[in-house]
Amino acid sequence: MKKFLWYFSVTLLAIIFMFPFVWMLLTALKEPGTALVLSLPKKLTLYNFKKVLFEFGFSRFFLNSLIVALSSATVSTLFASLAAFAFAKKSFFMKEYLFWLFIASMMVPGLLYVIPQFLIVYKLGWINTYWGMIVPHLANVFGLFLITQFMRQVPDSLLESARIDGASEFKIWWRIMVPLAFPIVATVFLLNFQFHWSNFLWQLIVAQSEEMYTVPVGLAMFKSAHEEAYTLEMAASSVSIVPISLLFIFAQRYFIEGITQGAVKG
Amino acid sequence: MKKGVRDNINAYIFILPFAFIFIVFLFLPFIYSIYLSFNQVTDFSDVFGGLSFVGLKNYLFLFRDKEFWWALVVTLYYALIIIPLNIVVSLLLAILLRKRYRLNSMYRTFFFLPFVLDAFVVGIVWTFIYAGRYGLLVNILKPLIGSIYETGFLGNAKTVMPSVALAMTLKGAGFGMILYIAALDGIPKEVYEAAELDGATGLKKLWYITVPLIQPVTTFMVIIGIIGALSAFAEFYAMTGGGPIVYKWGTPLGMTKVTGLYLFNHFSNLRLGLAAATSFVLLVLALGLSITYSKIQRKR
Repeated sequence: MKKFLWYFSVTLLAIIFMFPFVWMLLTALKEPGTALVLSLPKKLTLYNFKKVLFEFGFSRFFLNSLIVALSSATVSTLFASLAAFAFAKKSFFMKEYLFWLFIASMMVPGLLYVIPQFLIVYKLGWINTYWGMIVPHLANVFGLFLITQFMRQVPDSLLESARIDGASEFKIWWRIMVPLAFPIVATVFLLNFQFHWSNFLWQLIVAQSEEMYTVPVGLAMFKSAHEEAYTLEMAASSVSIVPISLLFIFAQRYFIEGITQGAVKG
Repeated sequence: MKKGVRDNINAYIFILPFAFIFIVFLFLPFIYSIYLSFNQVTDFSDVFGGLSFVGLKNYLFLFRDKEFWWALVVTLYYALIIIPLNIVVSLLLAILLRKRYRLNSMYRTFFFLPFVLDAFVVGIVWTFIYAGRYGLLVNILKPLIGSIYETGFLGNAKTVMPSVALAMTLKGAGFGMILYIAALDGIPKEVYEAAELDGATGLKKLWYITVPLIQPVTTFMVIIGIIGALSAFAEFYAMTGGGPIVYKWGTPLGMTKVTGLYLFNHFSNLRLGLAAATSFVLLVLALGLSITYSKIQRKR
């Protein structure tokens, strides 16, 4: 009985939580003009997807999103794990102050940075370029924090014996630290990817012509241009949501680990 | 070269790429924002040079601006709905998922998945569900809701804020759920067993044992809730654009024109000095409220 009650309530809740996305997909698969609410699609069609992808440029936006999210996530994870090695295993001038300064910046709401970042990007001539979208966000403090915590647990003896064998510091980082910290490095990569995939405000400001739009920006412009075309809008939304959902489902463990770690220690 | 110097150089090489980006795109912008908030942009062709110093004018403007105070009021209203709602739903999910029945991890995926999705896109999907006339909810609830059938839930001044809060709770509660599950796992079984010996029942155990013991997570949720409400932007941009308009304080004001939208409005009209001043006021508010809240919690 207790078990039945449990299944009943979690199923009900799951339906409520998943409903918007199921509805989105169903609407996206309807024939245009039949978006009228309470009906299920009579005939499933990929027409809306074809239209938004190839006529309204969403295949290009998708590619842009992918380029921006992948390269930002890769490079910022790399930078964070390089710095984390030094913070976890080396002593140097101003170490504590620098770490404190980095961490303190997490308290500042992102909006505060937007104006000066925009001015800098403008000065560099990076408006409407991938550079402008990617480079300002390559210092991921939260990622640095997570990886540093993890790398601290690597025993010093391991590094010492590698040094005796004549390994360079860079080699120690790449061959010992990164592989040992892999679970958290993967977490940071995924969190970064997710952040950049949906970094709406910044891309909205930097991308000024259609061929540079990312998916959320394209969606915003589409929304204001085609007020009533719901089936198309839902197809475009699906294009944005599906890749991140798939990524999440396959790598769920890493996402959850990162969040638990971050909250417990932060 | 001396060993100490070499070690320092060695360490700094590893930090360099990160620190460079940090200084150029986070630290200097922070300092520059402070400077900018005391200036007015006069020449847009020269975004760094075309500034004139105006002292506290931007801050004084905010202090006198009805729209700014209104933005604070509606943001507070939003926070007062979404923070408790989010905490209750997250905790409910966590308590349910602590029972390790089969399919537990599948359900956890369902609850957590919306959290990783984009607030803007999720907002758009909800706009469709909440819409008037052809929207889904108004058609299901048609006999009960009167004029909302025409305006939709986002077009009615009374329902708009709770509607956004509900949508964003369903999107975000999976995050709190994960934190609460970890906290609940940390409570030793003996505590409950002792309470049972003293005759405590289900709800009593929840209120007198569970809730106090998971207080650190709740405090964390309140603090990120405050910061989140003060910087909420994408969800309102997607769902309401600040509307619907209500007449208050002698002027038309946006019922959901929260601080995030207010700030964006200055920004998109290139009132950069004002926008910077707004961000600082919001930062001080977020810090002040968070610190006050955690102090009060610690005293209890």
